[in-house]
Amino acid sequence: MKISRKVGKLAAVVLAVGVGASLMAGCSSSSEQASEVTELTIYSGRSEEFIAPFFEQWQAQSGIKLNIRYGDSAELAAQILEEGKNSPADLFLSQDAGSLGAVAAADLFTTLPDDVATSIPATYIAAKRQWVGVTGRARVFAYNPTLKTLPQSVTDLTSPTYKGILGIAPSNSSFQAFVTALINAEGEAAAEKWLKGLKANGVKIYAKNSGIVEAIDKGEIQIGLVNHYYIWEVSEGLGREINVKNGFFRAGDIGNLINVSGAGILASSKKYSAAEDLINFLTSQKVQEDFVSKTHEYSLLAGATSPAGLPTLLDIGAPTIDLEALKNISITQDLLVKVGLL
Amino acid sequence: MPTKIDVSSLRTPSAHGKGRSWREIALLAATALVVIFTLIPLTYLAIRAFEKPLPEILQLLFRDKTLEVVGRTTFLVIIVVAFNTIVGTLLATGIFFVKLPFARYLIIPAILPLAIPSYVFTYTWLAIVPSLSGFFAASFILILTTMPYAVLATLIGLRRVDTGLIEVAQTLGLGRVQIFFRVIFPQIRLNISAGALLIGLYVMSDFGAVSLLNTETLTVSIQNMYKASYDRSAAAVIAMILILASVIFILLEERFKGSSKSAAIAKSYSVKALLIEKISYRTTILALLTSYVALAVLAPFYVLISRFLGNPEPIEFSNLFSAALSTITVSGLGALIALLLSIPISIMNSKSEGAAARGAERIILISHALPGVVIGLALVSLGSKISALYQTTLLLAFAYSLLFLAKSVASTTASLKQVPTVLKDVAASLGKSSFKVATQVTLPLALPGIGLGALLVFLTAMKELPATLMLRPTGMETLATQIWSFASINRFNEAAPYALLLVLIAAVPTFLLSLPERLESQDRDADQNRNREQDSMRELGDSR
Repeated sequence: MKISRKVGKLAAVVLAVGVGASLMAGCSSSSEQASEVTELTIYSGRSEEFIAPFFEQWQAQSGIKLNIRYGDSAELAAQILEEGKNSPADLFLSQDAGSLGAVAAADLFTTLPDDVATSIPATYIAAKRQWVGVTGRARVFAYNPTLKTLPQSVTDLTSPTYKGILGIAPSNSSFQAFVTALINAEGEAAAEKWLKGLKANGVKIYAKNSGIVEAIDKGEIQIGLVNHYYIWEVSEGLGREINVKNGFFRAGDIGNLINVSGAGILASSKKYSAAEDLINFLTSQKVQEDFVSKTHEYSLLAGATSPAGLPTLLDIGAPTIDLEALKNISITQDLLVKVGLL
Repeated sequence: MPTKIDVSSLRTPSAHGKGRSWREIALLAATALVVIFTLIPLTYLAIRAFEKPLPEILQLLFRDKTLEVVGRTTFLVIIVVAFNTIVGTLLATGIFFVKLPFARYLIIPAILPLAIPSYVFTYTWLAIVPSLSGFFAASFILILTTMPYAVLATLIGLRRVDTGLIEVAQTLGLGRVQIFFRVIFPQIRLNISAGALLIGLYVMSDFGAVSLLNTETLTVSIQNMYKASYDRSAAAVIAMILILASVIFILLEERFKGSSKSAAIAKSYSVKALLIEKISYRTTILALLTSYVALAVLAPFYVLISRFLGNPEPIEFSNLFSAALSTITVSGLGALIALLLSIPISIMNSKSEGAAARGAERIILISHALPGVVIGLALVSLGSKISALYQTTLLLAFAYSLLFLAKSVASTTASLKQVPTVLKDVAASLGKSSFKVATQVTLPLALPGIGLGALLVFLTAMKELPATLMLRPTGMETLATQIWSFASINRFNEAAPYALLLVLIAAVPTFLLSLPERLESQDRDADQNRNREQDSMRELGDSR
């Protein structure tokens, strides 16, 4: 009787404390020996579907096991910032330059030695070599092939020719990166005027790039601002051919912006050389060719072939842009809110 | 015939021995520990927010955009809460009191949408209406998503309505509407209010629906701060506003619900004789139910199933199976931790209306309004310093328990409160130890309610995404992360099997949630509670 009463009294306390105790457990620090690297931890903002086969190849050839954490690039960047020097990640592979820039700005990337990613042109590498570009992603206009007059510049899109037939995705980060580039190149006033012009022209708003491509396919709109690979993504998602093509503006137009996905090595990692080897693998000739044929992205190597039916990076005539300056898109968001597109 | 047993004569002053103070200290200590846990995210936010200099904080707080977002969030909460409280109460009361075909099964489709995450709702509705966007679209989706909370909460209250009073009111010549407002409503007000609270906090913390529909609420602002400028301090400042908003909402709810009456021992619960057969009532309720089920069950299922059938890729069953297994494991563990954490506070809450207990409950409710990304980052910040725990199943389960503790506490407290005090007093006066009172009287009577809380946590944890992405063990995928992963690259066909499986698994606890209703509503006499109470009385007498 007495015992059971005591047990009863203790029960609630023990149960609650138990969780607390298990939280405290393992406060001991574990420092890893760098001698024999058997595992590498990757934070990947690139989706599993596209990147996993490449990781598997490297795993097989290096004998090093990859622990891969898939997530949203920006959220993974926020997570790395929060983890600071305690981050379990060795390498961060991001979908866009902005997220890489945020981690670099917090000094959480190590400087990559000169013998890493030698094949990648300097345009696609951070000035202080904290990260390198891995693949290229071109901004394009997707359009219905029956559309008669194609725009030469993004500024043409505010003309009556495109009234009510243009789609954009203002909440999408790649659109915001483009508007940021526009602000950086031509000033906030010009960007505001352009956005207002689009709005006055009855631009249709979509939640996602893919929604724009689907809408063009269905004939709801004729043209839309997206990244080049969405026509494949949508067509593969639907499991059929779609009636949409990619178009580029004239050479040098800001609408032809090239953003990159890229990778950096965490300063807190103790496995630099293995991580560097993975970057070299991802930027090697063979893998770059596979990116072009399998994920329909641009290879960043000089003279590389382009995704089927598209001009090469050189022929696109991309505007000269500092990719690191695309990190802070809050001004862009405020502007989009101001003109009523967000 | 309602039978009233006068037990007031049995009530004796409770004989509390020396053990009492010891017990209270232990209870207080356990509650304090739980409160410390729930303070982790709030402390984290305070630290992050005040990293910014004060002028910048003020500027952020009072800029036009912040005010606009606060206004929009407020209106969204008001619209969804008001609509669902009215329609949900109507629907539940109708299902309960109006004679309907297959009445015992009707409750299932009305609660089933609980199993569908708001982002799946939104994706499926976007497939039907691609141009869906903006404030009213978000209101629409959130109304569909949260309706079951109102229906469920009201139904739980209705089961305990004293139908004897209704009979009295009828003989006094009161009309049906009058009976509802003067007899039924006062008895279920507490439950309706609890449903409204859960709905309001859900709307505040939702990210999936509002972000996909371009409606910037405070939660979307917080997420955007991370994504657009990687500014964690700014995000924390906005989160402070969200906390303030939830505090105001919680205080309003407390005012509305009023004081609770303690349960009397014997009531009459039989509804059979009171069932309304009037055709206009029947058609109204059926029409309402049918339209809700069409919008919230049939539409999403139609899209999911047609996507599933249209999927050209072979399904990888091993991935599907392992994702389902991790989902069940980690959500189950989260529900268990939430249940354990909720016990001390619920005991305190059910015993007294003291300031400590109420304060603890409020803090837990505040955490319920925080978006998953905030809890996620708070635990990333703390957890990454403890490498043995970081990115383990246990930490993720702990995050779930913090996020959804309010659900467990609310339902455990309510069920403990509904155990008649007289029963406990009688048991004590018959010489039962407090342990025996707890295990033989309180626990059996409160168990269904405690279980309901755990089921709700399990159900919500299964659908959780942002904290799961941050805290899951590296390499582990759940059904929710897989849906996200495919949907983010527009492979909706390939996401469909995962979404369908998630909904089907979630339908099991949803079905269990609706089970007591099926047993105790119209078709059978709802005598079970009364019998159980009488059984416990008899048992107590026998063992003396």
